[in-house]
Amino acid sequence: MTEHAVRSLGFGLGLRPQHYPAILDGAPAVDWFEILSENYMVEGGRPLAKLMAIRERYPMVMHGVSLSIGSTDPLDMDYLARLKALAARVEPTIVSDHLCWTGVAGLNMHDLLPLPLTEEALAHVCARVDQVQSFLGREIALENASTYVTFANDAIPEWEFLAEIARRTGCRLLLDVNNVYVSAFNHDFRATDYIDAIPREAVAYIHLAGHEHNKTYIIDTHDHPVADGVWQLYAHAIRRFGAVATMIERDDKIPPLGELTAELAQARRVAADAPRQPAQVA
Amino acid sequence: MDLQRTEHAFQEGLLGRSQDILRSVRGNARESAETMFGIYRHAYCARLVEALGNDLPGLKALMGDEAFDTMARAYVARHPSRHPSIRWAGRHLAEFLATETPYRDEPWFADMARFDWALAFAFDAADAPAAGLADLVGVPREFWGGIRLAFHPTLDVFRISTPVDDARPQLLEDAGVRPDRAARCERAIMAWRIGHDVKFRAVDMLEFSALQAMRDGAAFGELCELVAREVDLETAPLRAAQILQGWLEWGIVATVEHEGLGSAA
Repeated sequence: MTEHAVRSLGFGLGLRPQHYPAILDGAPAVDWFEILSENYMVEGGRPLAKLMAIRERYPMVMHGVSLSIGSTDPLDMDYLARLKALAARVEPTIVSDHLCWTGVAGLNMHDLLPLPLTEEALAHVCARVDQVQSFLGREIALENASTYVTFANDAIPEWEFLAEIARRTGCRLLLDVNNVYVSAFNHDFRATDYIDAIPREAVAYIHLAGHEHNKTYIIDTHDHPVADGVWQLYAHAIRRFGAVATMIERDDKIPPLGELTAELAQARRVAADAPRQPAQVA
Repeated sequence: MDLQRTEHAFQEGLLGRSQDILRSVRGNARESAETMFGIYRHAYCARLVEALGNDLPGLKALMGDEAFDTMARAYVARHPSRHPSIRWAGRHLAEFLATETPYRDEPWFADMARFDWALAFAFDAADAPAAGLADLVGVPREFWGGIRLAFHPTLDVFRISTPVDDARPQLLEDAGVRPDRAARCERAIMAWRIGHDVKFRAVDMLEFSALQAMRDGAAFGELCELVAREVDLETAPLRAAQILQGWLEWGIVATVEHEGLGSAA
């Protein structure tokens, strides 16, 4: 794999409609924006107009939630056609989605559902990644999702599963550091083991987000600032992967843009300081 | 269990139809598989109910949070989402409310859902320029009878039997407002978008019939005949012209076409 343009994008935010005026009226300290692809798979109106106005000023990455790469239903070719059309319009640096499935039997659960980590699932996902990349005419990035259950027949650690998908298909990885932290707590593994097993060159960009800690489990809510433990894990990730493009996601209880750019400034500081600091993550 | 059967069992568990999946999943050192799977099960309904509330704010305000939640869960059980975007999860809701007990006994609910949905549809339907009165100027008088209209792609038109259009703005201001649910009306609502602004307007049943006819391809001459059946013959052409003028002024027409000269827009 070669160095991908997305790695050097800098520090970005998830684009949310609440921030359209602040972005267009000001010049927030954001290097790029990630859009939720499905929100812009519409025919017209304000969403697309604002999107393209902001696109004129900032690089963008497209991030979806409905590719359902792990589903045993056939790929939704209508969805893929709309995704491809949106990509042609937006010209994103990369298109990403999740290692998950979202429904079977024609239904959509609108959630990022976990896959059994088996050889069968690995082969299935790889075949579909090949199909998607061929159809879109570009490589995609797959994100590790937060999970709450594991499967009795799991045979491959998730980090190896992801790394193998990248190796077999040439796809990139979107490493969500918060999701690693959440899943590590929920499934009792060391978060640093996960980070350390991900191939350096496969990581296209990094997600950071907040979560809700319920003492016995953590839920990936995206409605809080990034937690201290996730910042530490992020520093560990930067030490391993180098200066990789990073963004903060906030999907609920969305604060004013200034609060998010302040949090993004913290990401810049952590990334800048990380190489000079020893590992601190348990 | 293979991947396909695992996914089907997982989904059946989310839908509350089976607990077989609990034999195949694990929790953690602190919580059981049932508790951890319950996170997914809870999120499934909660996410859809929240999305429906966001897309149908008038209905949610009309019903109140608790009743809306109960109704939305019943709807989701009957109409699980099939679209990649959660934005479309409520597309069968008005029909559900119009046909399912106990909701069908309160026509305000289906009318409000229909109204909310039309406004949401207009918000991000396809862009198109709107024709105006100037597009009629060049049409010679002898061709007026053959005028046909292509309507704006954001336009939605539907009948209501309750005055939800009057009540909705107040409900959105203050969900504590309780409209008179005994109130009835006989009119239609047009909802559409100009630029980025979603508009709506109430029209009487004559205009609704006229709009339906011209959306179905009728020419202006046929519109005049339709109007003449409802008002006296002398005033029918004037009334028909007023209706046409209104549509052009409001921006619900995309193009004006007439025989002989083709499209004037």
